Amino acid sequence: MKRANAITGVVLAIVAILSLVVIIPWQIETGPQGMMSPRLVPQIMMGCILLLSVLLFVTNLGPDETGAPQPFSQAELRALALIGGIFALSIVLYYLIGPLAFGVTLVAGSLIGLGERRPLVIVAMPLVLMLMLWALFYKVLGTAIL
Amino acid sequence: MTTRRTVIATAAGLVLALSGFAAVAQDYPTRPITMFVGYGAGGQTDLIARASAKVLSEQLGQPVNVVNKPGAGGAVAANELKSKAPDGYTMLFQSNAVINAAPFLMDRVDFKPDDFEYAGMITAYQTGMAAPKDAPYDTLPEFIAWAKQNPGFAYAALSSEARMYMDAIAEREGLEANAVPVQSGSEMVNTLIAHQVAVAFSGGIHYRYPDEIKTIAPTTTFRHPSAPDVPTIEEAGFDLAMDTRTVIILPKGTPKDVIDKISTALKAAETDPDFVKVTKAADIPIMYYDAAAATKEMNDTYTKNKAILTGGN
Amino acid sequence: MEHVLTAFQNVFTGPALFWVGAGVLLGYILGAIPGLGKATGAAVAIPLTYYLDPVSALGLLIGIAKGSGAGSAVSAILLNTPGEPSSAPTALDGYPLARQGNAQKALKMGLFASVIGDFLSTIVLIVLAAPLARYALLIGPVELCAILIFSLTFIGGLSGGSMIKGLIAACFGIFFATVGMETETFVPRLTFGFLQLDDGISLVPMAIGMLAVAEMIVQAGNRREIDAQSAEMKDSDNPDDRRITGAEWRRCAPVILRGTFIGSVVGILPGLGASVGSFLSYGATKRASKTPEKFGTGMIEGVAAAESADNAVVPSSFVPLFALGIPGSVIAAILIAAFILHGLTPGPRMFVEQPGLVADLYVAMLSASLIMLILGYAGQRFFAMIIRVPLRLIIPGVLLFCCVGSYMETSSAFSIYVMLFFTLIGFLSRKLDFSFVTFLIGFVIAPKLELSFRQSLQLLDHDWANLVHHPIAIVFFLAAVVTVLAVARKQAGQSVEPIDIEREELS
Repeated sequence: MKRANAITGVVLAIVAILSLVVIIPWQIETGPQGMMSPRLVPQIMMGCILLLSVLLFVTNLGPDETGAPQPFSQAELRALALIGGIFALSIVLYYLIGPLAFGVTLVAGSLIGLGERRPLVIVAMPLVLMLMLWALFYKVLGTAIL
Repeated sequence: MTTRRTVIATAAGLVLALSGFAAVAQDYPTRPITMFVGYGAGGQTDLIARASAKVLSEQLGQPVNVVNKPGAGGAVAANELKSKAPDGYTMLFQSNAVINAAPFLMDRVDFKPDDFEYAGMITAYQTGMAAPKDAPYDTLPEFIAWAKQNPGFAYAALSSEARMYMDAIAEREGLEANAVPVQSGSEMVNTLIAHQVAVAFSGGIHYRYPDEIKTIAPTTTFRHPSAPDVPTIEEAGFDLAMDTRTVIILPKGTPKDVIDKISTALKAAETDPDFVKVTKAADIPIMYYDAAAATKEMNDTYTKNKAILTGGN
Repeated sequence: MEHVLTAFQNVFTGPALFWVGAGVLLGYILGAIPGLGKATGAAVAIPLTYYLDPVSALGLLIGIAKGSGAGSAVSAILLNTPGEPSSAPTALDGYPLARQGNAQKALKMGLFASVIGDFLSTIVLIVLAAPLARYALLIGPVELCAILIFSLTFIGGLSGGSMIKGLIAACFGIFFATVGMETETFVPRLTFGFLQLDDGISLVPMAIGMLAVAEMIVQAGNRREIDAQSAEMKDSDNPDDRRITGAEWRRCAPVILRGTFIGSVVGILPGLGASVGSFLSYGATKRASKTPEKFGTGMIEGVAAAESADNAVVPSSFVPLFALGIPGSVIAAILIAAFILHGLTPGPRMFVEQPGLVADLYVAMLSASLIMLILGYAGQRFFAMIIRVPLRLIIPGVLLFCCVGSYMETSSAFSIYVMLFFTLIGFLSRKLDFSFVTFLIGFVIAPKLELSFRQSLQLLDHDWANLVHHPIAIVFFLAAVVTVLAVARKQAGQSVEPIDIEREELS
């Protein structure tokens, strides 16, 4: 964790400097005279983050504890990539086909991705969930959500 | 079986398409209508929109579904409406300020009245300057006299129009004012009732608190039906009145007979007992304009507001 | 008094009781589903209120508000995915309890704390609405600014393992809260040209991404271990693991009372909301505890503190509504719309013009508390079984509901992008041990703090000497300074001579 903390400290310090020098001046205009500048609060926050991340870096110098677990396990990164990919695919289908395709892909895709292999479950679960939502919003409550 | 049905459906679709817009428009509406509201649920405009949707639905014989699309004072919803098919099945119920004021106040909004069609206006906002009930002034001139004796007084500003009003008055009369920013109508009411500010610019909700708050100057061209004795800002000698009304906005190119159908259906709201009850309880006056009058009002106020809001610089 | 009797008659014989029950049930279910919650429930209930009589309509809305507050504890405890941001502190101790096989105990404590907080706060509303609202008016922007600064001193205690990282997370929370149109200068900040960001990043999609979706990804990565653990987990033979023991009641009673008090006060103050209430209560309980280091590992007090305050906020946020006609929360704003729909003007005149209606409402609110207790108690045994379902069957459904909940906030796909953006941040902060609780507190409090600071500058006419007219503000400013000094001294003392502290505590 120490090494991860030190790296995080450096990354956050860079983020803070970038925000202070580039993003805040680019994305926030200076306000009118006689009022607190709209840039003030974001600048203070990024300034604090800069200070704290340097502090984080300094306090975590030195070798890692031996045998300490890595912050990111392979399995978790795989899960992030998997679910991220399913979301990406679902959103593409949302624009190409529609919200129904989005929901079905999201549910069926993550079922398969997480290791469900029974065809009945893979077909039934998206259908049942979509039907449930439709019944709840359109029939029971009578409001269109799309 | 399926194939045959598909063929029939396609053929029917073709016939419909060939028979042209007129025939389709005559049947309008044949399916549910979606009504966008550019604010979150529960506000003044949302309330009127839902009451109007109910009347429209009764008149047109199809459900009218209200969908809240809040963001940037309605500009997000109006942007989305632009991309919708001009067939009358998607409409936006909004304050006309999104088109006749927002472009002059927000850099990234550039709507013009010509970008949309208007099917009618139904209610007006009783915008104006409000003060605590026991304040020692009842009209704008009296307030100005008081303000000269009390430099550094505070007023609540909910929008940049509010700041514009006070800047214009202060500049002409040599007043010294502190603008207290507030985020919502209820917060504005709170500052008045608690006597934290001397005046506030209200969108009309202060009429719900007749025991605590009074109107000192409507910022509309007409006197408020809820306070007919109070002279307007124009009567006090400031040429700054800007009217805002709720309007049904449609995508550019919507067929005229569809617009007329909606316009006629909206007129029924004027006399609909439920609609009257709701607007009465909320102190919102009904002022119906048909499609033609609404379009004219939109163009006129756009020109006038442009002069007021950008005239100085 | 005769109004009260007729009110009981009206509510219990008419359709109102049914709608209150339906509201509580709907709210409880929506609250228990990660991703959906109060906002969803209220949005869908508005059209329904058109067709109901006033008491039924308002009962339905109040039922939803109360039910979802209690329901959100369920998903927080069982899945570590708070149904609403205000239940985030519930998950801190509730989820560890559930993984230790004490799911039913945690669920029961969550429910009882919710019901007690809600019931007592409703009583406060009924008895004290009018006088309290007048006092609440004394809390102007200057006082609010001082109170918010005071409440920020609790952040240190909630930052988890590392104070530095907790503070960094809080700074990021505040930073993201500045996105959108600044209220005083009307300058858009950090919107990158997106009009959708003009009103800021909305709390609901942000919290769903950060709390629910990110957690689901982490659990997806560890699903084999978690499923294996669940399969081994048995209801222990000891019934004490399923119910709340007398000793636990004694430990939690003062916690619940404190939570109720904090929640009620936060509810009355304008625009703070349930999240602030539950975070403050959790922080205060942790600070008052003799074993603060055990919080986060399955302390039943943590659940009691968060849930009692979370639910106490709801009724007391109606105080300004009933007494002055000013809505104190989103639900209250929607209630106003419902009042007006039925031709009623909310506010002090209601008591004079419609005393019967007000009494009906009070009775409806009290019965909502009781219905919540019955439904929740009946449901918890059933809910507790969810923990045994393999994760591969849970995660897809949760992801779908998260998308629906985010989408409904603005009816646009943009909310889903916001949700996914904060999913990534939530994932990184979980793995690198940055507290998302302090992030959320920063995000929730900062906009109010900045605005009230700007308001204060104007109200004080840019002269700090004018602060003498605001004694309440001075008290809170001083309290903030004293707390910071005390914490600093305690920490300094701890690192040098830990024994001294123990002696101090004993004496």
